[in-house]
Amino acid sequence: MPALDFAASAALTFGVELELQLVNTRDFNLAPDADDLLRRATRDAPPGELKPEITQSMVEINTSVHRRYPELLAELRATRDVLAGHARKMNVAISGGGTHPFQKWSERKIYPTERFLSVSEKYGFLAKQFTVFGQHVHIGCASADDAVYLTLALVRYVPHFIALAASSPYYQGVDTAFDSSRLSVVNAFPLSGTMPFVRSWREFNTYYDRMFGLGIVASMKDFYWDIRPKPEYGTVELRVCDTPLTVDRAAEIAAFAQALASWLWEARPDVSADVYLTHSYNRFQACRHGFAGTLVDATSGVSRPLADDLRETFDRLAPHMSLLGSSDALAALDRLLDGGNDAAWLRRQYAASGTLPDVVRHQAALWAG
Amino acid sequence: MTAADFLPHWPPAINGFMVFGLLLLAGLCGGRLAATTRVLPAITGYIATGFLLGPGGLGWLDAPLLAQARVIAEFSLGLIVFDLGRRLDLGWARHDRWLLPMGLAESAISFAAMFALLHLLGGIDSLEAAVAGTVGIATAPAVVLLVTYELKADGPVTRRMLWHVALNNIVAMLGITVLLPFVEARAEGASWNPVARSLWIVAGSFLLGYVAFRVLALLARWIGKSPGPQFILTVGAIIVTVGAAQASRLSVLLALLVLGACARNLDREHRLIDVDFGRAAQLFFVFLFVLAGAALRIDQFGTIAWLGLAFVVARTLGKAVGLFALAWPAHISPRQATTLGLALTPMLGLSIGMTQPIYDVAPEFGARLTAVVASGVAILYLLGPIATRYALLRAGEGEPAARD
Repeated sequence: MPALDFAASAALTFGVELELQLVNTRDFNLAPDADDLLRRATRDAPPGELKPEITQSMVEINTSVHRRYPELLAELRATRDVLAGHARKMNVAISGGGTHPFQKWSERKIYPTERFLSVSEKYGFLAKQFTVFGQHVHIGCASADDAVYLTLALVRYVPHFIALAASSPYYQGVDTAFDSSRLSVVNAFPLSGTMPFVRSWREFNTYYDRMFGLGIVASMKDFYWDIRPKPEYGTVELRVCDTPLTVDRAAEIAAFAQALASWLWEARPDVSADVYLTHSYNRFQACRHGFAGTLVDATSGVSRPLADDLRETFDRLAPHMSLLGSSDALAALDRLLDGGNDAAWLRRQYAASGTLPDVVRHQAALWAG
Repeated sequence: MTAADFLPHWPPAINGFMVFGLLLLAGLCGGRLAATTRVLPAITGYIATGFLLGPGGLGWLDAPLLAQARVIAEFSLGLIVFDLGRRLDLGWARHDRWLLPMGLAESAISFAAMFALLHLLGGIDSLEAAVAGTVGIATAPAVVLLVTYELKADGPVTRRMLWHVALNNIVAMLGITVLLPFVEARAEGASWNPVARSLWIVAGSFLLGYVAFRVLALLARWIGKSPGPQFILTVGAIIVTVGAAQASRLSVLLALLVLGACARNLDREHRLIDVDFGRAAQLFFVFLFVLAGAALRIDQFGTIAWLGLAFVVARTLGKAVGLFALAWPAHISPRQATTLGLALTPMLGLSIGMTQPIYDVAPEFGARLTAVVASGVAILYLLGPIATRYALLRAGEGEPAARD
């Protein structure tokens, strides 16, 4: 087979994919209305692209490619307004959040495209369990080797993204005690985890050829890694974030990823295979405890609260975010360290209202702006 | 006193419990048989069972037994109509400005088609044609809800279907109430003011539904949001409202529809949870449809069976025209409009619920009405559930074997 070509793109351009929940307004369970919503909303041609996802209660927003945070935020808000308007006419609501708090996965319906039906055939019940909602951030890379470096260098920061975006404390009707329970669902897939530790695009191609030759993968889409190069877009795709409860938060997190890439490419901190030693542990800590989780740095041997490392990272990125026009996003994210992430917000709603349908009602209202 | 006095008489007298239990079991068997065909919904089996056991079939269920069962039938209908009312989200009509016009168009055009057929082509008296046309506006709420439960259907067509059913029932109910004084004026011996009676039924039923909601909301605030107590609270409120409507000679259907609609639209503090009646509701559904089947009388078809058939066609076409006329501006796809039209096929039985006041005040008029459209009603009893099931499956919104 021919080598994977990496279509280089302008460095530090960025875009977002957001998977969203469709819920009915009666009992706030998931509603299988993706087809109808996409049919209606496409007429208004919102910016970017609207797509179906694995089950009929999900839709995905793909933004256009942007250079600056305010433009991305404006586009996300415009798309949200178009979708929310159509949803209201259909008597459904749209909601953020990494999981729907009480839906039963067995009741979901696979969206009938060739790809999703084949995923369903391949993975059995995992396909319907994959009714979870994530935010993916794409960062443009000038070269394939830059993409490989960024993919490895971002691994240390996976817990940071998980904690900032965590919005899935409830799953299948219970409080999981996790801030992000969504990633536990992703873990079940055989090709989840991390990219192997390779140093160049050439090495990556060698690995990919072997996996392809062994019949394990047919395309890059078969890797459910936390971070993966996306050669056809010329980007690195960060896939660990829950869909936040608002598009504003989604844009802030994307801006954080952009600034982090900017700093990593500029400072080029050395990345060793040691980062994989602690990755699973750190990732679990962030999923389970959010900002209060422990971060173990395999290189320095230091353990400390994730919140402390986040504060330090924010300080380091401040000049980059200033240059990239995303200081507002930095300030908003910084406030989360004291006020709590989306998972904390959801738990507060439950404490105040007492039922999970009420929680979904509140989160749908929050998403609509 | 003899030694054998403690023994029951033989054969033992049938009582209400035995009727209820036996009808349930017989209905269950009929439903299972229908389900094995993989085409017929279970509801068709319940109706067929009732027909077989009723006066039109083997005659095992006679009028006194059916009268005993009516109390439970009224409660079953109340439960169903309350649930339908909960689907009548008025906020939706504010956001989708075509929703209400489409519902009214579907109701008005189907009425016009049925009236024109019966009066102009069939030569039926204009008042009888108007009453028959008005009854025909309504889609049978129990049928569509049972099929919806059975298929666990959800989606844009299902949601719209339930909204249309709620609306067309209200329209038909108001229409019947408007026509009732004219019917009564013709009936012999009508000695009281028929307009006042209509006003009493409409205003009283609305008021009863609203007051019942206020009480329900007040108690819900007190007991909190636990599903168990809220289930008991809701069912209790339904039973009391059914009883109060009967005692006050109001419309059970309208009062419960209003109660459900208030629960959906006026519960601003979200004190009420969306109670799932689940298996308990299924129990009453089976019973209701076996009874409905028992009320079916092929011997009442009369000599104008063709008119009943034409009535079905006019009703179906009228609804379809109403839906298609506004489909484009309402962003409804042709496929959705088609499945929606089919899903609205089921029609109410003539002698239950909505038309009961007519039979009460003018039995002869009721008999003539039955003669005109009995064959149409019979056809829709058979075809209605099948059409709704087919439509929801065709729309991709139900699972064929969802609820065992």
